[in-house]
Amino acid sequence: MHSRRRAIAFLVTAAAVAATGTVAALAAGTGHSSSAATPKRGGHITIARIEDSISFDKTNVFQNESIWIAEQINEPLYLAGNDGKTLRPWLATGYTASKDGKTYTFKLRPGVKFSNGKAMTSADVKFSIEDAQAQKKGWGYLDAAIKSIDAPNPSTVVFHLKFQWAPFLADIGLFANGIIPKDFAGQSRTAFYKHPIGTGPFMWDKRVVGQSVTLKRNPFYWQKGKPYLDSVTWTYVTDENTRELQLRGGQIQIDEFPPFNSITKLQNTGGVTMSLFPSTRTDYLDINESYPPLADVHVRRAISYAIDRKAIIKSVLFGHGQPANSFLPPQVPFYDASTPGLQYDIAKAKAELAKSKFKKGFKVTLLVGAGAQVDNATGQVLQASLKQIGIDVTFKTEDTSTAFQSIQTRKYQLAFSYWTMDIADPDELVTFSVDPAGGASSFYTGYNNPTVISLSHQAQRQSDPEKRAQLYSKIQKLAAQDAFQGFLYYSPYRWAYTSKLHGFLVQPLGNYHLEDAWLG
Amino acid sequence: MSLSGYVVRRLLQAVPVALGVTILVFLLIHLVPGDPARTILGNQATAPRVALLRHEWGLDRPLPVQYEKFMGRLVHGDLGSSLFYGVNAGHLVLQRLPVTLWLIGLGALFSLLLAVPLAVIAATHRDRLADHVVRVVPLVGLGFPAFWLGIMLLLVFGLNLGRLFPVGGYGEGFFGHLHSMLLPALTVALGISPILVRSLRAGLLEVLESDYVTTARSKGLSERRVLVRHALRNAAVSTVSVLGVNIGFLVGGTLIVERVYALPGVGLLMINSIFERDFPVVQAVTLVFSLLVVLVYLLTDIAHALLDPRVRFE
Repeated sequence: MHSRRRAIAFLVTAAAVAATGTVAALAAGTGHSSSAATPKRGGHITIARIEDSISFDKTNVFQNESIWIAEQINEPLYLAGNDGKTLRPWLATGYTASKDGKTYTFKLRPGVKFSNGKAMTSADVKFSIEDAQAQKKGWGYLDAAIKSIDAPNPSTVVFHLKFQWAPFLADIGLFANGIIPKDFAGQSRTAFYKHPIGTGPFMWDKRVVGQSVTLKRNPFYWQKGKPYLDSVTWTYVTDENTRELQLRGGQIQIDEFPPFNSITKLQNTGGVTMSLFPSTRTDYLDINESYPPLADVHVRRAISYAIDRKAIIKSVLFGHGQPANSFLPPQVPFYDASTPGLQYDIAKAKAELAKSKFKKGFKVTLLVGAGAQVDNATGQVLQASLKQIGIDVTFKTEDTSTAFQSIQTRKYQLAFSYWTMDIADPDELVTFSVDPAGGASSFYTGYNNPTVISLSHQAQRQSDPEKRAQLYSKIQKLAAQDAFQGFLYYSPYRWAYTSKLHGFLVQPLGNYHLEDAWLG
Repeated sequence: MSLSGYVVRRLLQAVPVALGVTILVFLLIHLVPGDPARTILGNQATAPRVALLRHEWGLDRPLPVQYEKFMGRLVHGDLGSSLFYGVNAGHLVLQRLPVTLWLIGLGALFSLLLAVPLAVIAATHRDRLADHVVRVVPLVGLGFPAFWLGIMLLLVFGLNLGRLFPVGGYGEGFFGHLHSMLLPALTVALGISPILVRSLRAGLLEVLESDYVTTARSKGLSERRVLVRHALRNAAVSTVSVLGVNIGFLVGGTLIVERVYALPGVGLLMINSIFERDFPVVQAVTLVFSLLVVLVYLLTDIAHALLDPRVRFE
C-alpha cells in the first residue's frame, strides 16, 4: 500500500528493504495461523515496526505505517477481499449501478455506529468522500471521477460520476475513503485527525510521539463479538535483531518485516509463526528512454533478457521470491500469467543487441541510493550480466532522497524502483506505468506507445470484466515486448508473530484487519 | 582561589564554548548541499512554500542576521517544528532526555563499580596472575562493538537465563526504568571500564610507590586504610579526567546502545531523524548533545578540583 510517491521506490533504505509482496505459490507451506479453533476474547498485543507513524489523516498520508493503523479505526463502504482482487460490501450492504455506469446507489449497513456511539448515516458518507476528494495533495485524485454525491435518506448514498469509470468500486474501497463523522464530529480537521473517530474495530487510546500508538476495542463495533483483542499497541523498534529478540522473548507479539536472511531461522523457531503473505509488491529496473541507447527497443529487450532474475532472488531474497513476467503482479485483477516477459537468456540478449544501433555495446550508469543494500546487491548481479553482452554498467550513488528526485526528474539512465497496490484494480498502476500523461512520464521512463495508452483508456471505461481482462492482457503483452522496464521479481510480505496469535492475515494490498485476530 | 571562585571561572569559560556550539549548529543547515528550505520541505514542496520557509527562517537574509534570529528563537525554546511529527523539536528532545541521562548516569556508575575494585586488585597484585587477568579480560569488553555486546547480553539475560531482564524498552516507573536500564548500562560500562581500569591501576601503582604512602605504612596504618584514605583519592585524579572524556564521548555513543535496546532516548531520536531527514530535530539533538558534553566537561573539572585542590590555583 505504498503510494505512488512512496512506492516508486527508491526509498529502499535498509529499512525499506522491508516492504514486500509475493505470489500465491510462495505462500504454500508458510501460511498464516489457523483460526479454526474457537476464538477467545481478551488480551493485548504489541506490534513492533520498522517505522513510526507520521499521521492518521488517511486522506493525506502516504505511509504504510500510518495507513495500517488508520484502517483499524476508519472503514470504507466496500473493502478488498483477502485475495486482493475482489471487493466485498463492508459499511454498505450492496449497490446498484445505472445502465450508463455513471450512477451508483449504495445501501448502508444498518446498525453501524461510530466509536463515539453515534449512528453512521448517509450524511457522514457524503461528508467523508467529499472531504477525501477535496484533498488535492492527498488521495483525492482517485476520486476524480465523482461529480456529486447525494444523500436522499439516512441509509442511501448516490454517487454521480462524470463519466463511466470501471475502477470506481475499487476506488471507493480505498482507505482514504473510510467513513468519518460529519463535520469531524464538531472538531477542526487537524484536531480530529489527532484522535480520529471511526466505525472500525478499534478506537483511539493514546500516542507517545516517536514511540508508540495504542488503540483499544470499539464497544460499538458493528460485527458482534469482535474484535477479540482488548487493545493493540504499535511500537517503533528500528533494529531488526531487537525486534526478533523481543518476539522470541514474548515482549512483542508481531514483528513487522523481519529481514529475508532471517526467514528460515524464524520458520524453525519454536513459538513463532513466520508467514510469507502473497503481496502486490513488484520490483523493477527503470530504463530511462531519454538516454539514446535506452530509447532503442532492441537494447531494452537485450537488457531484460540479460537480467538473471533467479540469481537476484537467490542472493538478495534468499530464495523468497519469483521472477516477474509482467509489470502487474499476480495478486492484481487481470494479471496475465501468459505475458511473455523476457526472461534470462544471454544468447537472446546478444541477438537483440545485434539488431540495435549499439551492436558493440555502450556505457550506462545505474543509479543506486547510498546505503540501499538490496539495490547494490541487485546492481552487482545486473552489472555482471550486462557485461557479458557488452554493456558496461557503472554505479552512480546518490543520497536516497536526491536519487528519488533524480528519478522523478528523469536525470538517470538505469535505476531501481518498486510498487505495491493501493486498490483492488490495475488501473492505478497501469496509468502510472504506461500513460505518459498519468503523472509520472510512464513510471519515469518516458515510455510512450500510443496503442498501449489507448488500450488503457478503453479499459478504464469498460465495465464488462471479460473485455477488461482482454484489454489488460494486451497491455501487458505489448509492454513486455517493449521492455519499457526490466520486470525483476515478485516478493512476499514477511511477518513473524507468536504462535499464540490466530486469525492474523495480511492481504495482498498490504493491509491487515485485526478484528479477526485473537490470542490462544 | 576558592572552589566557588574556580567554579564561577569555569562556568564563564563554558559560555563562549556554548556560544560556539550554537554557531556550529546554526551553520549545520548551511552545510547541506542545495537550498536548506528545499532540503527541509522535501521534493514535493512547491516553490512558493519553499520561498515562504526561506523567509520565515530568515534564509533570505545575511548570515549574522540569520544567526541573531536563530538565537532569538533558541532563547524562547523554539528549535523549529519536527517535519515528521509536526511537534516542537525541542520538546521532542527534552521528552527523551531522561532516558539518555539514565543511560549515561547508570553506565558511568557501573563502569566505576567495575573499574575501581578491578584496578585495586591489579595494583595490589602487580605482575601476578590476578593483575594479568584484570589487565587482559576487560579488554574483551572494549574489543567488542556495543551493538554485538548488547545483542549478546539480551540473548543471555533477556532470553536464555530465565528472562531476567526485558528485551529492550524503557519500562514503567522508577523501578521499571531501573530494571530496563541494567543491561544497557552494563553494555556502556563494559565499553568504558577497561580504560578506567588501566588508568586507575597506573595511577595507583605510582601513588603506592610515593613517599607519603611509605610514611603512612611506616606509621602502622593497615594496607586497606592506606589504599582507601591515601592512595585511591590521589590516583583517582587522572581517572576522573579519563571518565569525563569517555562520558563526553558516550553522549554521542548512546546512539548504538539505544538502538539495540530500543530505548526511546535522544540517541535513537537522532538516528531516526537522520533517516527521516527531520532536519530541525537533528539540529536540536546536536545542540542538546553538544551542550551536554560541555556540561560533562565542566563537572569533570569541578570534580578534579575537589579531588586535587592544586588545580584551583593553576
